[in-house]
Amino acid sequence: MTLAAEKTDRRAGEGLQGVSELAGKYLTFTLANEEYGVGILKVREIIGVMEITAVPHTPPYIKGVINLRGRVIPVMDLRLKFGMAAKAYDERTCVIVVEVQGRNSAVQVGMVVDSVSEVVNIAGSEIEPPPSMGSSSESDNILGMAKVKGEVKILLDVDRVVGEGLLRQFEEM
Amino acid sequence: MSQDENAVSKILDDMAVKILMVEPGDLSVVGDLLAAAEDLLATEGEAANLPVLHAMAHAFKSALERMIMGELSDSAENYELLGKAITQIQEAVRKGSDMDEAGVAAFAQHLSEAGYPVTAADLLGGDKSLAEEPAQEATPMESLPAQDKEPGAAAEAPAEVSPEAPPAPALEQAPAVGGGVPDFLQDKELLGGFIEEAFEHLESIEVNVLELEQNPGDLDIVNNIFRPFHTIKGVSGFLNLRTINKLAHATENLLDDVRNGKREMDSDVIDLVLTVGDTLRSMVENIKEVLENGPEYYQDLDITSQLEHIQTLQEGKSPAASAPEAPVAATGTAAAGAATGAPAAAAVPAGGEAQSSSAGAAEPATAPEAAMPAPAGAGRPQGGESPAPAAANGQATPRKKMGASIKVDVEKLDALVNAVGELVIMQSLVRQNPLVAKIADPKLIKDFSQLSRITSDLQHTAMSMRMVPIKQTFDKMIRLVRDLSKKSGKEVNLVMEGADTEIDRNMVDSIYDPLVHMMRNSVDHGIQPPDERVKHGKTPTGKVSLRAYQKGGNMVIEIEDDGEGLNTVKIRKKAESRGLVQPGDNLSDHELNNMIFMPGFSTADQITDVSGRGVGMDVVKKAVEKLRGKVEVQSQPGKGSLFTIRLPLTLAIIDGIIVRVGSERYIIPTTAIQESMKPERKNYNTVHGRGESLLVRGELLPVIRLYKLFGVENPTHTDPCEAIVVVVENEGRRRALMVDELLGKEEVVIKNLGGMSDVRGVAGGTILGDGRVGLILDLAGVIASAAE
Repeated sequence: MTLAAEKTDRRAGEGLQGVSELAGKYLTFTLANEEYGVGILKVREIIGVMEITAVPHTPPYIKGVINLRGRVIPVMDLRLKFGMAAKAYDERTCVIVVEVQGRNSAVQVGMVVDSVSEVVNIAGSEIEPPPSMGSSSESDNILGMAKVKGEVKILLDVDRVVGEGLLRQFEEM
Repeated sequence: MSQDENAVSKILDDMAVKILMVEPGDLSVVGDLLAAAEDLLATEGEAANLPVLHAMAHAFKSALERMIMGELSDSAENYELLGKAITQIQEAVRKGSDMDEAGVAAFAQHLSEAGYPVTAADLLGGDKSLAEEPAQEATPMESLPAQDKEPGAAAEAPAEVSPEAPPAPALEQAPAVGGGVPDFLQDKELLGGFIEEAFEHLESIEVNVLELEQNPGDLDIVNNIFRPFHTIKGVSGFLNLRTINKLAHATENLLDDVRNGKREMDSDVIDLVLTVGDTLRSMVENIKEVLENGPEYYQDLDITSQLEHIQTLQEGKSPAASAPEAPVAATGTAAAGAATGAPAAAAVPAGGEAQSSSAGAAEPATAPEAAMPAPAGAGRPQGGESPAPAAANGQATPRKKMGASIKVDVEKLDALVNAVGELVIMQSLVRQNPLVAKIADPKLIKDFSQLSRITSDLQHTAMSMRMVPIKQTFDKMIRLVRDLSKKSGKEVNLVMEGADTEIDRNMVDSIYDPLVHMMRNSVDHGIQPPDERVKHGKTPTGKVSLRAYQKGGNMVIEIEDDGEGLNTVKIRKKAESRGLVQPGDNLSDHELNNMIFMPGFSTADQITDVSGRGVGMDVVKKAVEKLRGKVEVQSQPGKGSLFTIRLPLTLAIIDGIIVRVGSERYIIPTTAIQESMKPERKNYNTVHGRGESLLVRGELLPVIRLYKLFGVENPTHTDPCEAIVVVVENEGRRRALMVDELLGKEEVVIKNLGGMSDVRGVAGGTILGDGRVGLILDLAGVIASAAE
């Protein structure tokens, strides 16, 4: 998890230094009317929405668990996680399975998104540090903002969004 | 002196002959050679008193060891070179103190060519570490004249019981070499092998010692005890584990006296062997810790008192009252951390540890043993079967067949079991696919049934790979009962049956503590003292039976004693005083007896240090329920008690009832279910502000509406009398769970919820027949969250 370590360094530097280490390939997807990106190395696979088994005593954004070829993996609805309005799942809805650091081992988690766009190569020069939004946890979830072909894409830190979201779920209850 | 010289020449002649006879690939002869080389080292220390000669013999022996370990090829050329090296040693012996360096140089060259690099300078004292005899001032052997310890025949007849003769003590004082953390960490792989082997050996020692108590004078058993000590001594020496080596060595010498009829295997010796076993175990555990966490964890135990104790015994005295006792840890676990007082400070006192890095390697294991911890680690049955075939003699025991069994990493095994589980599920999914199910092709149907046969075979095999005999755990009880009966002055005969019954290896550790608890309970509360037993017309010796067998999908462990039995009157009084039972409640004896599993319930009048502190059976019940098992007791006052533990055969699969609540399905572990019913209106009560309850067989059970608890939005029934209630029991609490429908009973593979641990009320998930995830209920959590 050197990336995480680097990020901490970066945070320590108040994000003043460049974010060129974030350059690379990103899988982009949409949520409401925004474009997001996650590092392609974190992505394991993309699947359509399947039947989700609800798990009691978990926050609303944890939709439940699915059977991924014999493995049971949790599924998180990113809209609900970011406090957006829920949207009925349709044929464009996708589950992006990412691998993040769990409490004591790497775990796979599904993220429900409106639709998946493409994989883009983002250069370091195109990335800016996340806007400072005070101390809200929202900005903590963001690695940076990328401007690609005139569009802004929000680069997500999935380790924080998903990994800690999963670990924090019980504290939030 | 001349006698010694003769002995040396004789050994060398023997070796020379053997080298001539050796066939490449015949390692057993190399084993003989190694034994002879050890004899040589043991003898020539007395004889020529020449460090150079000693160094030569030592180098030669190391070369042989490497050959056995496969580091040197056992080719004809190498044997020839070794032969030449022997000739040089013979020369050196003949010349005695007039020996010249040329011979030594030639010897060094032969060995180097064979692949064991050594220089004449090393041998001539450039390297102290080779030339030093391990200092043994701490061992009791010094006080004994050397020839006493030479099982005479060993020197000339390698085909003797003893694979080697214990070496004579070093007469010269080796200079002190700095202590500190030994350098045994050089070969972690071998060390790991040693640790595992050592634990098994220690276990076999214990079992054999206790068997010996039953059959005193059985030399076979003495040999069975001697051999593991010998192996531990050899391998630990090889690995530079000096303290372990010393202690094992001294004990081995004592046992050797027993084997040779020099002393009785009396209870003093037996006690000592057990104590030493505990000490060794704690030392090996410490080594394991070092291996896992780093050298700073190293503790060197002070074993001087034990060594003195051994010496006292060897000199034929009874041990002084101050004989060191290694207290067994209160739980009876293997960690006898307190053994032999507190561990000495990590720094080893330099004075007592004047051993070169090759210390102890001066008399390493014989061939097959040295070969044992080879990284391949093959050829050892898992599951603690006592090693060592009964007939051991000077000839190297044939090397164990490779492939008879192999060690497999537990994680790999779990991955296999998981994959097989998925295969089974996948297959049923394919079969249940409506499109596939419609195909009425006889061949497809036949192929499918063939496929499911294969998958279920595969599943069966994969599961059985995780199983180990429960013998290991049972064997530990022998010692426990022995110690308990000694302590309490009761005579107990422990009878074990079905020790080869297999159990999931992940359960072995968890079942140990409850078993210890129950054995204690049986000896402490069950069996009466001999005089009391006689008064009741019983034999003075009590009997405790420990049985294991498989029944259906369960493993059953029974602990039966012919002691006092449970006193229902006392139990009832206690239960009433705790408000568990109302005076006048009608309870069967069986129900009363099973009250002892309630928390804080103990009927012991006196608080012994064994049990009776008011914790006990409830702990057992908790532990067993954690393993998804059940425990209950049957008892007849005055006749005895029978405790029965039922466990699932494996932790990976759970037997459950699938229930439906709205559109969700949950699995309730079958072990927790007592009954299910459609409640009658007259039995249903609501208490204002205290929820609702249901009268089931005279008991008011709180009702838990699962749909409410789990937030299921669309339950079919909201009226308990329309729905189905399942009566479950967990840790003595009974509840009525309200569900919509029972869908059937199934064995399901447990999966964790991927990163979401400790979801309240959910123990895990499983993939149901239609591919969806079903949640397995954790009743303790369900009951707890319903109470809020």
